[in-house]
Amino acid sequence: MNWKRVCAASDVPENTLKRFDIDGIAIVIANYGAGFQGFPPYCPHMEEPLADSGMLDGGILTCSKHLWQWDLRTGEKVGLAEKPLLCYDIKTEGDDVMADLEIELINEYDVEDDMDDDDFFGSD
Amino acid sequence: MPARNHKQWTSPPSLKAGEWVDSRIYSDPDIFEEEQEKIFKKVWIPVCHESELPEPYDFRTVSIAREPIIVVRGPDNEVRAFLNVCPHRGMMIERRPSGSFAPAQPSGNPKHMTCMFHAWQFDMKGNCAYISREEEGYQDRIKKEDQGLRRLRCEVKFGGFIWVTLNDQVETTVEEWADGAFDCIREAIDTEPLQVFHYHKAIIGCNYKLWHDTNSEFYHDYMHYHNRVTGFNDEYFARKNIAFGNGHVNVNSFEVKYDQYEGFESRAELSFPTFPPNQWYMIDMFPGMNFNLRGSALRCDVMTPLGPDKVMIEFRGLGLKSDSAEDRQHRIEHHNSIWGPFGRNLHEDLIGVAGQGATMQTGSEPRRILHGRHEDNFIHDEVGMRHFYAEWGKWMDRMPSDPMKKYMAAAE
Repeated sequence: MNWKRVCAASDVPENTLKRFDIDGIAIVIANYGAGFQGFPPYCPHMEEPLADSGMLDGGILTCSKHLWQWDLRTGEKVGLAEKPLLCYDIKTEGDDVMADLEIELINEYDVEDDMDDDDFFGSD
Repeated sequence: MPARNHKQWTSPPSLKAGEWVDSRIYSDPDIFEEEQEKIFKKVWIPVCHESELPEPYDFRTVSIAREPIIVVRGPDNEVRAFLNVCPHRGMMIERRPSGSFAPAQPSGNPKHMTCMFHAWQFDMKGNCAYISREEEGYQDRIKKEDQGLRRLRCEVKFGGFIWVTLNDQVETTVEEWADGAFDCIREAIDTEPLQVFHYHKAIIGCNYKLWHDTNSEFYHDYMHYHNRVTGFNDEYFARKNIAFGNGHVNVNSFEVKYDQYEGFESRAELSFPTFPPNQWYMIDMFPGMNFNLRGSALRCDVMTPLGPDKVMIEFRGLGLKSDSAEDRQHRIEHHNSIWGPFGRNLHEDLIGVAGQGATMQTGSEPRRILHGRHEDNFIHDEVGMRHFYAEWGKWMDRMPSDPMKKYMAAAE
Protein backbone atom coordinates (compact mmCIF):
# COMPACT_ATOMS: atom_id res chain seq x y z
CA MET A 1 0.00 0.00 0.00
CA ASN A 2 1.15 3.49 -0.79
CA TRP A 3 -1.57 5.92 0.21
CA LYS A 4 -1.12 9.41 -1.23
CA ARG A 5 -3.18 12.53 -0.77
CA VAL A 6 -4.63 13.46 -4.16
CA CYS A 7 -6.77 16.50 -3.39
CA ALA A 8 -9.19 18.06 -0.99
CA ALA A 9 -12.76 16.75 -1.16
CA SER A 10 -13.90 20.28 -1.98
CA ASP A 11 -11.62 20.35 -5.07
CA VAL A 12 -14.07 18.04 -6.91
CA PRO A 13 -17.71 19.14 -6.63
CA GLU A 14 -20.51 16.58 -6.86
CA ASN A 15 -21.05 15.00 -10.31
CA THR A 16 -17.72 16.28 -11.66
CA LEU A 17 -14.38 14.77 -12.61
CA LYS A 18 -10.94 16.25 -12.24
CA ARG A 19 -7.51 15.05 -13.30
CA PHE A 20 -4.51 15.21 -10.93
CA ASP A 21 -0.89 14.24 -11.39
CA ILE A 22 0.63 12.75 -8.23
CA ASP A 23 4.29 11.71 -8.31
CA GLY A 24 4.13 11.04 -12.05
CA ILE A 25 0.86 9.11 -11.93
CA ALA A 26 -2.15 10.67 -13.63
CA ILE A 27 -5.43 9.94 -11.83
CA VAL A 28 -8.97 11.18 -12.37
CA ILE A 29 -11.03 11.73 -9.22
CA ALA A 30 -14.80 11.53 -9.62
CA ASN A 31 -17.28 12.75 -7.02
CA TYR A 32 -20.44 10.68 -7.57
CA GLY A 33 -22.33 12.11 -4.60
CA ALA A 34 -22.20 9.15 -2.27
CA GLY A 35 -18.41 9.03 -2.48
CA PHE A 36 -15.24 9.38 -4.59
CA GLN A 37 -13.78 7.07 -7.18
CA GLY A 38 -10.34 7.23 -8.83
CA PHE A 39 -9.17 5.78 -12.16
CA PRO A 40 -6.57 6.23 -14.94
CA PRO A 41 -7.14 9.26 -17.15
CA TYR A 42 -8.07 7.50 -20.40
CA CYS A 43 -11.12 5.52 -21.45
CA PRO A 44 -10.26 1.81 -21.73
CA HIS A 45 -11.87 1.77 -25.18
CA MET A 46 -9.89 4.28 -27.34
CA GLU A 47 -7.83 6.45 -25.01
CA GLU A 48 -10.36 9.26 -24.69
CA PRO A 49 -9.33 11.67 -21.90
CA LEU A 50 -12.13 11.06 -19.39
CA ALA A 51 -11.60 14.22 -17.37
CA ASP A 52 -12.54 16.15 -20.55
CA SER A 53 -15.05 13.85 -22.19
CA GLY A 54 -16.56 11.92 -19.31
CA MET A 55 -20.05 12.78 -18.02
CA LEU A 56 -21.13 11.85 -14.53
CA ASP A 57 -24.72 11.46 -13.36
CA GLY A 58 -26.12 9.49 -10.46
CA GLY A 59 -23.07 7.30 -10.03
CA ILE A 60 -22.90 6.42 -13.74
CA LEU A 61 -19.85 7.61 -15.70
CA THR A 62 -20.36 7.91 -19.47
CA CYS A 63 -17.58 8.45 -22.00
CA SER A 64 -19.21 10.84 -24.45
CA LYS A 65 -17.49 9.47 -27.57
CA HIS A 66 -18.93 5.96 -27.85
CA LEU A 67 -21.14 5.93 -24.75
CA TRP A 68 -19.31 3.30 -22.77
CA GLN A 69 -20.61 3.49 -19.19
CA TRP A 70 -19.56 2.32 -15.72
CA ASP A 71 -21.15 2.28 -12.31
CA LEU A 72 -18.61 4.20 -10.22
CA ARG A 73 -19.75 2.54 -7.01
CA THR A 74 -18.28 -0.71 -8.30
CA GLY A 75 -16.26 0.12 -11.46
CA GLU A 76 -18.38 -2.44 -13.32
CA LYS A 77 -19.40 -1.89 -16.89
CA VAL A 78 -22.92 -0.82 -17.82
CA GLY A 79 -24.68 -0.58 -21.17
CA LEU A 80 -22.35 -0.51 -24.18
CA ALA A 81 -19.06 -0.77 -22.31
CA GLU A 82 -17.02 -3.82 -23.23
CA LYS A 83 -14.29 -3.46 -20.62
CA PRO A 84 -14.41 -2.59 -16.91
CA LEU A 85 -12.99 0.66 -15.60
CA LEU A 86 -9.77 0.00 -13.72
CA CYS A 87 -10.08 1.76 -10.34
CA TYR A 88 -7.70 2.70 -7.57
CA ASP A 89 -8.48 2.11 -3.93
CA ILE A 90 -9.79 5.43 -2.63
CA LYS A 91 -10.53 6.65 0.88
CA THR A 92 -11.21 9.97 2.54
CA GLU A 93 -9.41 11.16 5.65
CA GLY A 94 -10.95 14.31 7.03
CA ASP A 95 -11.11 16.64 4.02
CA ASP A 96 -8.46 14.72 2.07
CA VAL A 97 -9.09 12.31 -0.79
CA MET A 98 -6.46 9.56 -0.67
CA ALA A 99 -5.53 6.94 -3.29
CA ASP A 100 -3.37 3.85 -3.09
CA LEU A 101 -0.81 4.56 -5.84
CA GLU A 102 1.43 1.56 -5.11
CA ILE A 103 0.97 0.33 -8.70
CA GLU A 104 -0.01 2.54 -11.64
CA LEU A 105 -3.04 1.15 -13.42
CA ILE A 106 -2.59 1.07 -17.19
CA ASN A 107 -5.18 0.17 -19.80
CA GLU A 108 -4.20 -2.13 -22.62
CA TYR A 109 -5.19 -0.99 -26.08
CA ASP A 110 -5.20 -2.65 -29.46
CA VAL A 111 -1.91 -1.56 -30.97
CA GLU A 112 -1.65 -0.47 -34.58
CA ASP A 113 -0.56 -3.37 -36.64
CA ASP A 114 3.20 -2.94 -36.35
CA MET A 115 4.15 -5.02 -39.34
CA ASP A 116 6.73 -3.39 -41.54
CA ASP A 117 4.70 -1.95 -44.39
CA ASP A 118 7.52 -0.71 -46.61
CA ASP A 119 6.50 -3.10 -49.36
CA PHE A 120 2.82 -2.15 -49.16
CA PHE A 121 2.65 -1.55 -52.90
CA GLY A 122 4.65 -4.63 -53.80
CA SER A 123 7.49 -4.60 -56.24
CA ASP A 124 5.51 -4.38 -59.45
CA MET B 1 9.24 45.55 -89.23
CA PRO B 2 6.07 47.54 -89.58
CA ALA B 3 2.91 46.59 -87.72
CA ARG B 4 1.13 43.56 -89.12
CA ASN B 5 -2.35 42.88 -90.39
CA HIS B 6 -4.29 39.84 -89.18
CA LYS B 7 -2.94 37.47 -91.82
CA GLN B 8 0.65 38.54 -91.18
CA TRP B 9 0.14 38.41 -87.40
CA THR B 10 -1.20 34.85 -87.51
CA SER B 11 1.25 33.33 -89.99
CA PRO B 12 3.93 30.96 -88.68
CA PRO B 13 7.15 32.52 -87.43
CA SER B 14 10.42 32.06 -89.25
CA LEU B 15 11.59 29.55 -86.65
CA LYS B 16 11.72 25.76 -86.70
CA ALA B 17 8.96 23.62 -85.21
CA GLY B 18 9.78 23.11 -81.53
CA GLU B 19 10.79 26.74 -81.16
CA TRP B 20 7.36 28.04 -80.30
CA VAL B 21 4.10 26.82 -78.82
CA ASP B 22 0.48 27.49 -79.71
CA SER B 23 -1.14 29.56 -76.95
CA ARG B 24 -4.09 27.17 -76.79
CA ILE B 25 -1.92 24.90 -74.62
CA TYR B 26 -2.26 27.70 -72.04
CA SER B 27 -6.01 28.20 -72.33
CA ASP B 28 -7.88 25.22 -73.74
CA PRO B 29 -10.19 23.51 -71.19
CA ASP B 30 -9.87 20.09 -72.85
CA ILE B 31 -6.09 20.25 -72.78
CA PHE B 32 -6.25 21.27 -69.10
CA GLU B 33 -8.44 18.25 -68.25
CA GLU B 34 -6.19 15.97 -70.22
CA GLU B 35 -3.12 17.26 -68.36
CA GLN B 36 -4.73 16.30 -65.06
CA GLU B 37 -5.24 12.72 -66.23
CA LYS B 38 -2.14 12.17 -68.35
CA ILE B 39 0.43 14.10 -66.32
CA PHE B 40 -0.53 15.22 -62.81
CA LYS B 41 -2.16 11.92 -61.82
CA LYS B 42 0.91 10.01 -63.04
CA VAL B 43 4.00 11.79 -61.69
CA TRP B 44 5.69 12.43 -58.34
CA ILE B 45 4.71 15.76 -56.74
CA PRO B 46 6.51 17.30 -53.72
CA VAL B 47 3.35 18.13 -51.77
CA CYS B 48 4.98 19.50 -48.61
CA HIS B 49 8.07 19.28 -46.41
CA GLU B 50 8.72 16.93 -43.51
CA SER B 51 9.32 19.86 -41.14
CA GLU B 52 5.64 20.76 -41.56
CA LEU B 53 4.74 17.58 -39.64
CA PRO B 54 7.61 17.26 -37.16
CA GLU B 55 5.94 15.17 -34.42
CA PRO B 56 4.19 11.79 -34.46
CA TYR B 57 0.47 12.22 -35.25
CA ASP B 58 1.09 15.54 -37.05
CA PHE B 59 -0.64 15.92 -40.42
CA ARG B 60 -0.78 18.17 -43.47
CA THR B 61 -3.56 18.22 -46.06
CA VAL B 62 -2.81 18.89 -49.73
CA SER B 63 -4.17 17.95 -53.14
CA ILE B 64 -3.03 16.64 -56.49
CA ALA B 65 -5.25 16.94 -59.57
CA ARG B 66 -8.33 17.75 -57.42
CA GLU B 67 -7.82 14.66 -55.25
CA PRO B 68 -7.64 15.61 -51.56
CA ILE B 69 -4.64 14.05 -49.83
CA ILE B 70 -3.58 13.78 -46.20
CA VAL B 71 0.03 13.23 -45.16
CA VAL B 72 0.55 11.96 -41.60
CA ARG B 73 3.52 11.06 -39.43
CA GLY B 74 2.94 7.79 -37.58
CA PRO B 75 4.02 6.83 -34.05
CA ASP B 76 6.87 4.97 -35.77
CA ASN B 77 7.96 8.36 -37.25
CA GLU B 78 7.22 7.18 -40.80
CA VAL B 79 5.43 9.58 -43.12
CA ARG B 80 2.52 8.08 -45.04
CA ALA B 81 0.03 9.55 -47.49
CA PHE B 82 -3.63 8.69 -48.03
CA LEU B 83 -6.57 10.03 -49.94
CA ASN B 84 -8.33 12.37 -47.52
CA VAL B 85 -11.62 10.64 -48.26
CA CYS B 86 -13.79 8.55 -45.95
CA PRO B 87 -14.66 5.15 -47.45
CA HIS B 88 -18.17 5.42 -46.00
CA ARG B 89 -19.89 8.43 -47.63
CA GLY B 90 -17.03 10.18 -49.43
CA MET B 91 -16.66 12.94 -46.84
CA MET B 92 -13.35 14.80 -46.70
CA ILE B 93 -11.96 13.40 -43.47
CA GLU B 94 -9.78 16.29 -42.33
CA ARG B 95 -10.48 19.91 -43.25
CA ARG B 96 -7.68 21.73 -41.44
CA PRO B 97 -4.50 22.52 -43.44
CA SER B 98 -2.33 21.08 -40.70
CA GLY B 99 -2.44 20.00 -37.08
CA SER B 100 -2.11 16.99 -34.82
CA PHE B 101 -4.17 13.88 -34.25
CA ALA B 102 -2.56 13.32 -30.84
CA PRO B 103 -5.38 15.00 -28.88
CA ALA B 104 -9.02 13.90 -28.98
CA GLN B 105 -11.16 15.34 -31.79
CA PRO B 106 -14.75 16.55 -31.37
CA SER B 107 -16.10 13.26 -32.77
CA GLY B 108 -13.08 11.01 -32.35
CA ASN B 109 -10.41 9.74 -30.03
CA PRO B 110 -6.75 10.63 -29.57
CA LYS B 111 -4.25 9.19 -32.08
CA HIS B 112 -6.87 8.68 -34.79
CA MET B 113 -8.07 10.42 -37.93
CA THR B 114 -11.80 10.80 -37.49
CA CYS B 115 -14.44 11.48 -40.08
CA MET B 116 -16.68 13.83 -38.12
CA PHE B 117 -19.71 12.93 -40.24
CA HIS B 118 -20.40 9.44 -38.78
CA ALA B 119 -17.39 9.02 -36.46
CA TRP B 120 -15.50 6.38 -38.44
CA GLN B 121 -11.89 6.38 -37.28
CA PHE B 122 -8.56 5.44 -38.84
CA ASP B 123 -5.08 4.99 -37.46
CA MET B 124 -1.86 6.49 -38.83
CA LYS B 125 -1.32 3.48 -41.10
CA GLY B 126 -4.74 3.96 -42.67
CA ASN B 127 -6.33 0.98 -40.92
CA CYS B 128 -9.98 1.50 -40.12
CA ALA B 129 -10.00 1.35 -36.31
CA TYR B 130 -13.63 2.06 -35.55
CA ILE B 131 -17.00 1.96 -37.27
CA SER B 132 -19.76 3.30 -35.07
CA ARG B 133 -22.48 0.69 -34.42
CA GLU B 134 -20.73 -1.62 -36.86
CA GLU B 135 -22.51 -4.88 -36.07
CA GLU B 136 -25.91 -3.30 -35.57
CA GLY B 137 -25.92 -1.79 -39.06
CA TYR B 138 -23.71 -4.01 -41.16
CA GLN B 139 -24.00 -7.33 -39.27
CA ASP B 140 -21.09 -9.20 -40.86
CA ARG B 141 -21.44 -7.69 -44.35
CA ILE B 142 -18.96 -4.85 -43.83
CA LYS B 143 -16.13 -5.03 -41.34
CA LYS B 144 -13.65 -2.38 -40.35
CA GLU B 145 -10.87 -4.74 -41.43
CA ASP B 146 -11.97 -4.12 -45.04
CA GLN B 147 -12.54 -0.37 -44.77
CA GLY B 148 -9.02 1.05 -44.65
CA LEU B 149 -8.07 4.30 -46.33
CA ARG B 150 -6.67 4.51 -49.87
CA ARG B 151 -2.91 4.68 -49.32
CA LEU B 152 -0.65 6.50 -51.79
CA ARG B 153 2.96 6.04 -52.71
CA CYS B 154 5.09 8.47 -50.74
CA GLU B 155 8.82 9.18 -50.41
CA VAL B 156 10.78 11.70 -48.36
CA LYS B 157 13.56 12.90 -50.65
CA PHE B 158 15.87 15.77 -51.64
CA GLY B 159 16.17 17.93 -48.55
CA GLY B 160 13.18 16.38 -46.77
CA PHE B 161 10.43 17.11 -49.28
CA ILE B 162 7.49 14.70 -49.17
CA TRP B 163 6.80 13.37 -52.66
CA VAL B 164 3.48 11.70 -53.37
CA THR B 165 1.99 10.17 -56.49
CA LEU B 166 -1.55 9.04 -57.23
CA ASN B 167 -0.03 6.43 -59.54
CA ASP B 168 0.46 3.04 -57.84
CA GLN B 169 2.16 1.83 -61.03
CA VAL B 170 4.67 4.70 -61.19
CA GLU B 171 7.72 3.37 -62.97
CA THR B 172 10.45 5.29 -61.14
CA THR B 173 11.56 6.10 -57.63
CA VAL B 174 11.83 9.83 -56.88
CA GLU B 175 15.59 9.46 -57.25
CA GLU B 176 15.23 7.95 -60.72
CA TRP B 177 12.56 10.47 -61.66
CA ALA B 178 14.89 13.41 -60.91
CA ASP B 179 17.57 11.87 -63.16
CA GLY B 180 20.39 13.79 -61.51
CA ALA B 181 18.78 17.23 -61.66
CA PHE B 182 19.39 17.66 -57.90
CA ASP B 183 23.06 16.63 -57.95
CA CYS B 184 24.22 20.25 -58.06
CA ILE B 185 22.69 21.06 -54.64
CA ARG B 186 22.49 17.57 -53.18
CA GLU B 187 25.13 18.01 -50.50
CA ALA B 188 23.87 21.48 -49.62
CA ILE B 189 20.33 20.27 -48.90
CA ASP B 190 21.01 16.75 -47.60
CA THR B 191 23.88 17.32 -45.17
CA GLU B 192 21.57 18.37 -42.35
CA PRO B 193 17.80 18.67 -41.87
CA LEU B 194 16.02 21.66 -43.38
CA GLN B 195 13.03 23.52 -42.00
CA VAL B 196 10.28 25.53 -43.65
CA PHE B 197 10.20 29.09 -42.33
CA HIS B 198 8.05 30.69 -44.98
CA TYR B 199 4.82 29.63 -46.65
CA HIS B 200 2.41 31.55 -48.77
CA LYS B 201 0.28 30.75 -51.75
CA ALA B 202 -0.97 32.79 -54.65
CA ILE B 203 -3.80 32.05 -57.05
CA ILE B 204 -2.85 33.62 -60.35
CA GLY B 205 -4.91 34.10 -63.46
CA CYS B 206 -2.67 32.24 -65.85
CA ASN B 207 -1.88 28.72 -66.95
CA TYR B 208 0.57 26.86 -64.69
CA LYS B 209 3.02 26.37 -67.56
CA LEU B 210 3.51 30.11 -67.89
CA TRP B 211 4.89 30.22 -64.35
CA HIS B 212 7.08 27.22 -65.09
CA ASP B 213 8.29 28.90 -68.29
CA THR B 214 9.24 32.00 -66.33
CA ASN B 215 11.15 29.90 -63.80
CA SER B 216 12.90 28.15 -66.70
CA GLU B 217 14.15 31.18 -68.61
CA PHE B 218 16.55 33.87 -67.41
CA TYR B 219 16.15 36.13 -70.43
CA HIS B 220 13.47 37.90 -68.37
CA ASP B 221 16.16 39.19 -66.00
CA TYR B 222 15.57 42.38 -67.98
CA MET B 223 12.47 42.66 -65.78
CA HIS B 224 14.46 42.18 -62.56
CA TYR B 225 16.44 45.31 -61.79
CA HIS B 226 17.94 43.49 -58.79
CA ASN B 227 19.29 40.67 -60.93
CA ARG B 228 20.85 43.07 -63.45
CA VAL B 229 22.59 45.05 -60.71
CA THR B 230 23.86 42.02 -58.79
CA GLY B 231 24.40 39.75 -61.76
CA PHE B 232 24.92 40.92 -65.30
CA ASN B 233 28.63 40.22 -65.70
CA ASP B 234 30.86 37.69 -67.49
CA GLU B 235 30.22 34.97 -64.92
CA TYR B 236 26.47 35.43 -65.25
CA PHE B 237 26.59 35.11 -69.02
CA ALA B 238 28.70 31.95 -68.64
CA ARG B 239 25.91 30.14 -66.73
CA LYS B 240 24.55 27.17 -68.60
CA ASN B 241 21.12 25.55 -68.84
CA ILE B 242 21.45 21.80 -68.44
CA ALA B 243 18.75 19.35 -69.50
CA PHE B 244 17.99 16.09 -67.67
CA GLY B 245 15.68 13.21 -68.45
CA ASN B 246 11.93 13.46 -67.80
CA GLY B 247 11.78 17.13 -68.77
CA HIS B 248 13.80 18.57 -65.89
CA VAL B 249 16.44 21.28 -66.26
CA ASN B 250 18.75 23.20 -64.03
CA VAL B 251 20.77 26.34 -64.36
CA ASN B 252 24.26 26.24 -63.01
CA SER B 253 25.70 28.75 -60.64
CA PHE B 254 27.74 31.90 -60.41
CA GLU B 255 28.65 34.26 -57.60
CA VAL B 256 25.95 36.86 -57.02
CA LYS B 257 27.19 40.29 -55.90
CA TYR B 258 24.44 41.02 -53.40
CA ASP B 259 26.21 44.01 -51.89
CA GLN B 260 25.96 45.84 -55.21
CA TYR B 261 22.26 46.38 -54.54
CA GLU B 262 21.64 49.15 -52.04
CA GLY B 263 20.62 47.81 -48.63
CA PHE B 264 21.57 44.20 -49.41
CA GLU B 265 24.44 42.26 -47.88
CA SER B 266 26.61 39.32 -48.82
CA ARG B 267 25.03 35.98 -47.92
CA ALA B 268 28.37 34.17 -47.65
CA GLU B 269 28.21 33.57 -43.89
CA LEU B 270 24.90 31.75 -44.06
CA SER B 271 25.60 29.56 -47.09
CA PHE B 272 24.02 26.12 -46.94
CA PRO B 273 26.43 23.34 -45.88
CA THR B 274 29.32 22.76 -48.34
CA PHE B 275 27.93 25.50 -50.58
CA PRO B 276 30.46 28.09 -51.86
CA PRO B 277 29.60 31.70 -50.95
CA ASN B 278 26.75 33.51 -52.72
CA GLN B 279 26.12 30.78 -55.29
CA TRP B 280 22.75 30.43 -56.98
CA TYR B 281 21.36 27.22 -58.50
CA MET B 282 17.91 26.72 -59.95
CA ILE B 283 16.19 23.40 -60.64
CA ASP B 284 12.98 23.14 -62.66
CA MET B 285 11.17 19.83 -62.39
CA PHE B 286 8.58 18.62 -64.85
CA PRO B 287 5.64 19.25 -64.74
CA GLY B 288 5.68 22.30 -62.46
CA MET B 289 8.01 22.50 -59.48
CA ASN B 290 10.97 24.75 -58.89
CA PHE B 291 13.81 24.54 -56.38
CA ASN B 292 15.87 27.69 -56.11
CA LEU B 293 18.89 27.91 -53.82
CA ARG B 294 20.31 31.39 -53.42
CA GLY B 295 23.18 30.67 -51.03
CA SER B 296 21.49 31.16 -47.70
CA ALA B 297 17.85 30.30 -48.43
CA LEU B 298 16.06 27.64 -50.45
CA ARG B 299 12.82 28.46 -52.19
CA CYS B 300 10.43 25.84 -53.53
CA ASP B 301 7.43 26.55 -55.76
CA VAL B 302 4.81 23.88 -56.29
CA MET B 303 2.10 24.51 -58.82
CA THR B 304 -1.41 23.10 -58.66
CA PRO B 305 -3.33 23.89 -61.84
CA LEU B 306 -6.89 24.91 -60.95
CA GLY B 307 -8.14 25.56 -64.46
CA PRO B 308 -6.85 26.31 -67.96
CA ASP B 309 -6.14 29.89 -66.93
CA LYS B 310 -5.82 29.61 -63.16
CA VAL B 311 -3.02 28.21 -61.03
CA MET B 312 -2.31 27.96 -57.32
CA ILE B 313 1.37 28.42 -56.55
CA GLU B 314 2.62 27.45 -53.11
CA PHE B 315 5.87 29.12 -52.08
CA ARG B 316 8.03 27.73 -49.33
CA GLY B 317 11.23 29.17 -47.91
CA LEU B 318 13.62 26.89 -46.07
CA GLY B 319 16.63 27.24 -43.80
CA LEU B 320 18.55 24.82 -41.62
CA LYS B 321 16.71 23.21 -38.72
CA SER B 322 19.77 23.93 -36.58
CA ASP B 323 19.62 27.71 -37.19
CA SER B 324 20.08 30.00 -34.20
CA ALA B 325 17.32 32.58 -33.81
CA GLU B 326 19.63 35.26 -35.16
CA ASP B 327 20.76 33.25 -38.19
CA ARG B 328 17.17 32.33 -38.94
CA GLN B 329 16.16 35.98 -38.86
CA HIS B 330 18.89 36.83 -41.39
CA ARG B 331 17.85 33.95 -43.62
CA ILE B 332 14.25 35.13 -43.51
CA GLU B 333 15.37 38.63 -44.49
CA HIS B 334 17.47 37.21 -47.35
CA HIS B 335 14.49 35.15 -48.53
CA ASN B 336 11.80 37.77 -48.14
CA SER B 337 13.79 40.68 -49.56
CA ILE B 338 13.86 38.92 -52.95
CA TRP B 339 11.12 36.30 -52.88
CA GLY B 340 8.60 37.42 -50.27
CA PRO B 341 5.28 38.87 -51.43
CA PHE B 342 6.76 42.32 -50.74
CA GLY B 343 10.23 41.40 -51.93
CA ARG B 344 12.23 42.63 -54.87
CA ASN B 345 11.57 39.97 -57.55
CA LEU B 346 8.59 37.75 -56.90
CA HIS B 347 5.86 40.25 -57.73
CA GLU B 348 7.69 41.19 -60.92
CA ASP B 349 7.45 37.58 -62.11
CA LEU B 350 3.79 37.49 -61.11
CA ILE B 351 3.10 40.66 -63.09
CA GLY B 352 4.74 38.99 -66.08
CA VAL B 353 2.67 35.81 -66.02
CA ALA B 354 -0.55 37.63 -65.10
CA GLY B 355 -0.02 39.82 -68.17
CA GLN B 356 0.41 36.70 -70.28
CA GLY B 357 -2.68 35.18 -68.66
CA ALA B 358 -4.66 38.28 -69.64
CA THR B 359 -3.81 37.81 -73.33
CA MET B 360 -4.37 34.02 -73.30
CA GLN B 361 -7.75 33.49 -71.73
CA THR B 362 -9.99 30.62 -72.71
CA GLY B 363 -11.30 31.51 -76.17
CA SER B 364 -8.56 34.04 -76.96
CA GLU B 365 -7.28 33.91 -80.51
CA PRO B 366 -4.46 31.36 -80.75
CA ARG B 367 -1.04 33.01 -80.73
CA ARG B 368 2.46 31.72 -81.19
CA ILE B 369 4.58 32.00 -78.09
CA LEU B 370 8.27 31.94 -78.95
CA HIS B 371 11.06 30.11 -77.17
CA GLY B 372 13.55 29.95 -80.00
CA ARG B 373 16.61 31.65 -78.53
CA HIS B 374 19.81 29.66 -79.15
CA GLU B 375 22.93 30.79 -77.31
CA ASP B 376 24.87 27.54 -76.98
CA ASN B 377 22.81 26.71 -73.85
CA PHE B 378 24.12 29.77 -72.03
CA ILE B 379 21.94 31.68 -69.62
CA HIS B 380 19.61 33.44 -72.09
CA ASP B 381 19.18 30.37 -74.30
CA GLU B 382 15.57 29.13 -74.10
CA VAL B 383 16.51 25.46 -74.16
CA GLY B 384 14.84 24.94 -70.76
CA MET B 385 11.39 25.61 -72.21
CA ARG B 386 12.11 23.62 -75.37
CA HIS B 387 13.16 20.67 -73.23
CA PHE B 388 10.00 20.97 -71.12
CA TYR B 389 7.67 21.09 -74.13
CA ALA B 390 9.32 18.11 -75.81
CA GLU B 391 8.47 16.17 -72.64
CA TRP B 392 4.98 17.66 -72.42
CA GLY B 393 4.32 16.66 -76.02
CA LYS B 394 5.27 13.06 -75.28
CA TRP B 395 3.06 12.76 -72.18
CA MET B 396 0.12 14.46 -73.91
CA ASP B 397 0.67 13.04 -77.39
CA ARG B 398 0.05 16.52 -78.76
CA MET B 399 2.32 18.88 -80.67
CA PRO B 400 2.98 21.93 -78.48
CA SER B 401 3.13 24.10 -81.59
CA ASP B 402 -0.07 22.59 -83.02
CA PRO B 403 -1.86 20.86 -80.14
CA MET B 404 -4.62 19.39 -82.28
CA LYS B 405 -1.98 17.21 -83.96
CA LYS B 406 -0.27 14.15 -82.50
CA TYR B 407 3.21 14.53 -81.09
CA MET B 408 6.20 14.23 -83.37
CA ALA B 409 9.64 14.69 -81.90
CA ALA B 410 11.53 17.74 -83.11
CA ALA B 411 15.27 18.07 -82.76
CA GLU B 412 15.97 19.93 -79.53
